[in-house]
Amino acid sequence: MSRVARAPGASTKRAVEDGGASHLSHSLRSLSIQHQSPSKPARAAADSASEICPVCKSSRYLNPNMRFLVNPECYHKMCESCVDRIFSHGPAPCPIAGCKKTLRKARFRMQTFEDLKVEREVDIRRRVAKAMNKEEADFETLRDYNDYLEEVEEITWNLILKIDVEQTERRLRRWEEAQKAELNPNAVRRSVDNGPDISTLSETSHVILKKGGTQRRVQGASLGNTPIPEDDTGFSFRGLKKRKAPEPEKAFDPTGGWSVEPLYYSVKEEYDHKFFAVKHEPKFYAFGYKAPEYYSHALRDAFGGLGVFLEDDRANEVIDFGTQAAAVAAGGGRDVEMNDVF
Amino acid sequence: MGMSPALSPRPNPPGSHGPVNAAKAKPLVHLLNHKTVPSPSLTSAATTPGGPDEGLAEEMNDVVKNQFVFGARLGEGTYATVYRGHYREEPSKLVAIKKMKKNTEWQDGINLDSLREMKYLAELHHPYVINLIAVFTTKDENINLVLEHLPRGELQDIWKDKDIAYGGADVKAWSNMICQGVWWLHENFVLHRDIKSNNILIAADNSLKLADFGLARSFANPEAEMTYNVITRFYRPPELFLGSSHYGGCVDMWSVGCVIAELAVRDWFLPSETDLAHLGVITEVFGVPTESDWPGISKLRFWKEQLENTPAKRPQPLSWWRGRMPLIGDAGIDLVRGLLTMNPVKRLTAKQALEHHYWTAAPKPQKKENLPRKGGKEAEKAMGESLKRVGETEDDKMTKIARKLDFGAMR
Repeated sequence: MSRVARAPGASTKRAVEDGGASHLSHSLRSLSIQHQSPSKPARAAADSASEICPVCKSSRYLNPNMRFLVNPECYHKMCESCVDRIFSHGPAPCPIAGCKKTLRKARFRMQTFEDLKVEREVDIRRRVAKAMNKEEADFETLRDYNDYLEEVEEITWNLILKIDVEQTERRLRRWEEAQKAELNPNAVRRSVDNGPDISTLSETSHVILKKGGTQRRVQGASLGNTPIPEDDTGFSFRGLKKRKAPEPEKAFDPTGGWSVEPLYYSVKEEYDHKFFAVKHEPKFYAFGYKAPEYYSHALRDAFGGLGVFLEDDRANEVIDFGTQAAAVAAGGGRDVEMNDVF
Repeated sequence: MGMSPALSPRPNPPGSHGPVNAAKAKPLVHLLNHKTVPSPSLTSAATTPGGPDEGLAEEMNDVVKNQFVFGARLGEGTYATVYRGHYREEPSKLVAIKKMKKNTEWQDGINLDSLREMKYLAELHHPYVINLIAVFTTKDENINLVLEHLPRGELQDIWKDKDIAYGGADVKAWSNMICQGVWWLHENFVLHRDIKSNNILIAADNSLKLADFGLARSFANPEAEMTYNVITRFYRPPELFLGSSHYGGCVDMWSVGCVIAELAVRDWFLPSETDLAHLGVITEVFGVPTESDWPGISKLRFWKEQLENTPAKRPQPLSWWRGRMPLIGDAGIDLVRGLLTMNPVKRLTAKQALEHHYWTAAPKPQKKENLPRKGGKEAEKAMGESLKRVGETEDDKMTKIARKLDFGAMR
């Protein structure tokens, strides 16, 4: 981070904006969920200013069903009919004097909090929290995690207080893309092929008017002329564990990994021995008896014991029991003599 | 996991069960061979009547017996009563104890069924074959087989319970486990001779286990005659109905085909009322075999009375199979038809079944942990729901509490 929210520069800026009162504390004091239609007459009288649409100046007194909407682009309040009137034919600039933001009708919504500063802060926090979603388990140490939380808070405050917004937004976007790439490399490769992902851009970047050709050119140039290095993830955090890709699933093995192959012999298809002279009888070709099964059975029986050394097995066991006996002896102290008896 | 046949089948292939388990199960066998092994209780052995050897055997039996504790009775059959049990040392490790009943016909010696079961299970260890942990006697006359505890019932319960929904991937996973288990038996030259969907049990991890080796025997020598009156009727292959007394692994493979078909149609595949009628049911589906597709069939014992005068019949076409078993697809139908081939020589062997293209065709076999199971699904769902609700309220509480940073804890 280049600047910290609580740096002196930031606090002066905050003072200018808020008239000296601490932004957050002020917001918290007035934090209350706004009712759709304030029922208390006293309250209605108190906020009479907020009952008049700043664009068309119609008041709730004349139109009791009036609803106010805001757009998270600039948080300027206006009534529903104004929104319909101005933005029905596509994106248009905000009608409030001095605000040149281009707004879309689709993003207008009812405000949740009475205080629009709180509304904006909640929106920003929600967006940052969506991008910065690491947990304690993702970090090497608790200290690293706490540092990370601290930095997330800084990013949030920078956005809230409009410090380095361009820079922070860009880094946040890079970080989101990097996170997505880590989760699903294939999806990102696809989106790179098809150009930048529209959905993420519309979420974070400003809407550009079609007719604003110059603006578009500038934006396009800034996007095109500054290629972002592949390994730039926007942010880097100390102690962040690299995400491990899950192991690819193994192919199914119908034998379950078991196999039996003879070590000391091989089974022939045919054995020319008088014992098998009967193989031309029906019971060998019709009854279901298979001579090859018998051949391998006989060979298995003949060679079955090879490679098994009872002495070795017993030696191992004696050691096993010996230690057991030693343990018993240590406990009881009686069996040592028993050893001598046998 | 691969084992060499040149090595005698070891009781403990790697991975089939833990070393602790093995060490506990061993003493009976090995102590008998090692009289030099000291045992804290041996002092009393000398005083027991019947000579030192008998006393020692008794002591060793007690050592094994005392490792296990009997629990509730789970079920009772004609030949045995099954109890739940557990290790005395580790009560969380469950076992099933099969207490063989004393047979009035076999006053002297051991019941043939339990002898077969012990003989083969003691040597066969495979993830899809039930594991025999230990054997001991109580009161000197009852044989108790300590088997692994398989709490999820029989495979038959799955298709019979209409509340359980399963698909082609599940059938494939189950079929494959059955084929692997049977392959292991045949590879070790053991015939099961009673494969059916209620002899296939389901373990806690949803794998299937071949159980009930009461009719098992090893592959016979060429001259030895075997009985043809084995295998439950619905699963019995045609050559046994025709009186073949020389057979091999193929009889089990027919049963495997029946079990898979049963899973695919969710019903008995070849139901019949009597043994005599069953060959008719088989020929209804597979046609009447002739000398041309089953050379030597006329030499079979009961061919004359059973099939000679039956009018010729064509086997059911592929469309009939497709209509009955849409669940397993063409590849699965090919496998089932391969396993249910009338001529035992042409029938797929266990090894050929495992090499079949059904396993590699789509869909992939279901993962073990996702297989449907009896009762579990509903119960688990209900449990999951209730757990989830608790978890949510806990989370909600947490979000209302401000995060506390404890910097002191970092040093």
